Amino acid sequence: MENTLSNTAARPQTGAGSFGWLWQAITGVGLVILAGLHVTAHHYVVEGGLRDFQQVQAYLRHPVILPLEVLFLITVTAHALLGVRAILFDLGLSDNAEKRITQALTVIGALTVGYGLWLTWTIVTYPAAP
Amino acid sequence: MAIEVPAKVFRYRPGAAPRHETYRVTVPDDATVIDAIEAVWRQVNTLMFRHACHHASCGACAVRVNGYEKLPCIVPVKEALAGRAEIVVEPLRNFPLIGDLVVDVAGFFQKQAASGMVITREAEATLDGRPYQRSETFDDEGKLGERPYTRFENCIECGICLSACPTMAAADKFFGPAGLAAIYRATRPADGAQNKSLLLALADGEQGVWRCHSAFECTEACPQSVDPAGAIMALRRELIARKLKRLFGARER
Amino acid sequence: MAVLRDSKLKRILQWGDVRRRKPGMWAYALNRVTGLGLVVYLYLHLVVLSWLAQGPEAWEAFVALAKTPPFLALDVVLLAGLLIHGLNGLRVTLNGFGIGVRAQKPLFIALMVIAAVASIVGGAAIFFQ
Repeated sequence: MENTLSNTAARPQTGAGSFGWLWQAITGVGLVILAGLHVTAHHYVVEGGLRDFQQVQAYLRHPVILPLEVLFLITVTAHALLGVRAILFDLGLSDNAEKRITQALTVIGALTVGYGLWLTWTIVTYPAAP
Repeated sequence: MAIEVPAKVFRYRPGAAPRHETYRVTVPDDATVIDAIEAVWRQVNTLMFRHACHHASCGACAVRVNGYEKLPCIVPVKEALAGRAEIVVEPLRNFPLIGDLVVDVAGFFQKQAASGMVITREAEATLDGRPYQRSETFDDEGKLGERPYTRFENCIECGICLSACPTMAAADKFFGPAGLAAIYRATRPADGAQNKSLLLALADGEQGVWRCHSAFECTEACPQSVDPAGAIMALRRELIARKLKRLFGARER
Repeated sequence: MAVLRDSKLKRILQWGDVRRRKPGMWAYALNRVTGLGLVVYLYLHLVVLSWLAQGPEAWEAFVALAKTPPFLALDVVLLAGLLIHGLNGLRVTLNGFGIGVRAQKPLFIALMVIAAVASIVGGAAIFFQ
């Protein structure tokens, strides 16, 4: 093991280490509820379990459901990518590499949420059959 | 009475491939595994291993016995051999290996030194973060009660927890269970520990408590009931409480 | 002084070797494996949902596939993964705030029993609805 004291004790700590863990915990607890809701709604409510297009659209157009599904999207993406970050940070990489990983995952997260929002919007506004 | 012990020992020297060699040694039947290792050394003087006190005080002899971290000086040979064809002896994981059973502990001790541990007799914090009441620790006659008396200063710096810790495998810079347990202990005195802020900052840093993945292997393997995992969780609790207080405007102590 | 280290690859994968380790380690490895599986599932799911964006015909074609037994079986695996990861994750969160640390082992066993039961019940419901 290298001598780590020169590069930890001397620098003022920003508490950056706790950010990942805390948000992982918070999003995790949120997901127990949000994912529970999502899985129940999409597998166990309608006749036959899975929703057809009409049923998905009707579901997402609900004023309480829509924000909850968006919240679910953001929370699950954050939790998933924070988890990937935690695994990658176990590889013993340099501080710089770890910073780059955080940046890259943030971008991926933003793109994922963006895609999900686009998808939701497309479904909700899909024109009814003529 | 004597027993014959087949001992499969990890051997390594720079320049040769690591391998296991099986030796047959004869030891008294109440011998411990360190006695068996010494008996192997009497057969092959080239075996490198560490040992000193032979009673679990110094932490020098830590190895893996049958794949699990142990102090061989307190593992009876009979127990290690029970139901097995041989005792397997290997060095600790997660440390650089110098040769045979000897690992490089320099980096480990540098981290330990950072906590500047002082030994005091203040009431110890429990896993739940509150100090023990005297009535919980001692009985009416002043004898130590049955409740586990968690004392992080029990640590003998044997390195077993680092070998057991999954995070230490590839993340060398992680401060480690022993180091964090030492920091927790060093920050406990109620009258304001020396360097408390600096120590807590070390625990709060990128290589501190937040790297722990709650495997609890350190606490399971520790031969001295130090419970490093408990220390890490208690430190997290304290650090979060401080962050919340700061968030709501309280002055930093 | 020359020292020997296991290869970086071996050390990176060491967490997956739970032989001779204790329940806390199984919990950690299980959470990591289910977590990785769920990340893969998440992105697969997001891709599959693009069929929704293509309208009713494309979606109904997918739903027909999704209701076939092999697919439903995979859904049960997903359900199990979610339950294991979620329940154990709650335990890790509590422990991380210093709560229930001494009970971490029995808590893990109890939660996995709950996950197993819920997976069976939920899985049966998926097949028989």
